[in-house]
Amino acid sequence: MKISVRVFGRYKDIAAIDHIIFDIKEGGTIQDIIDAFVKRYPFTEIDKNRMMVSKNKIYISHDTPVQNGDEVTLCPPVVSGG
Amino acid sequence: MTIDRYRRQTLVKEFGLKGQEILATKQAVVIGGGGLGSHCASLLVRMGIGSIDIVDNDSVDITNLHRTAVFSESDIGKSKALILQEKLHAVNTIVRVKGINQKVTSENIDSLIKKADVIVDGTDNIALRHLINQASVKNHVPWVYAGVYETVGMVMGIIPGKTPCFQCIAQTIPASSPGEIPVLGSLPAAIASIQCNETLKLLLGKPLTGLIIYDVWKQCFEIIDIQKNPQCPMCGGKKT
Repeated sequence: MKISVRVFGRYKDIAAIDHIIFDIKEGGTIQDIIDAFVKRYPFTEIDKNRMMVSKNKIYISHDTPVQNGDEVTLCPPVVSGG
Repeated sequence: MTIDRYRRQTLVKEFGLKGQEILATKQAVVIGGGGLGSHCASLLVRMGIGSIDIVDNDSVDITNLHRTAVFSESDIGKSKALILQEKLHAVNTIVRVKGINQKVTSENIDSLIKKADVIVDGTDNIALRHLINQASVKNHVPWVYAGVYETVGMVMGIIPGKTPCFQCIAQTIPASSPGEIPVLGSLPAAIASIQCNETLKLLLGKPLTGLIIYDVWKQCFEIIDIQKNPQCPMCGGKKT
């Protein structure tokens, strides 16, 4: 299935676009999308376990399944400096 | 004097005289008096909040000076909270400013925040933000998260039971902090300004913006519309 993923922050700069289509196998999860994103943009490997990912505007864990038509966003991790 | 002091601000249609009057009745607690906390506290005092507590057990270090405006070299080694009390009181004597030279812990956070109308996040680590979030949900006190890294800042106003909480967006983030966090000197002032505006909107009952991401180097501003996570272990069971 094809999932359209909207990217934010520096991911948008890295990808040079704000929407990316990923081809994910049926029954796939957010983790499959992250893996595909990191494979395409290896600079993001450092964020792999900490990316903020939303599905249909709700931030969810990386093992959450995705389905056709889901609106997924990838955002760099929460920043913590003060 | 008071009318003169705020005259230009009350002319702003989004704020007005009514906003000024409401702000004067509100109490904020700023947790952390570093880059973000000192800037945001300064703005809230200058703009006329009624009362503000600034909690920090740290002292001013030379590494703070590149990203703060209130501290100077002569403050090095002194309590951030007490220096902020002294200097911000001198800025606006109408506002009650109290510096609290204390470490925020799970034992004292409830007593520090329970009378506040809003908590302003000036911390520098995720663990303390989770503690603030927990206390916020427990005591029904809203807070405004802000964080900085390199040239990027994030801000999100959080109203327990109504908006997503910090746990909703940070459930995959480990509580441990990385080492020394790189921060461009101009970043905290910009992010604290955005944080201050979200704080004002929250205090005035205006709609909040959502998760704001601003890159001061690329001048890129983004707003992410998010919703509460019904499965959130912190706020998922709360009714809206």
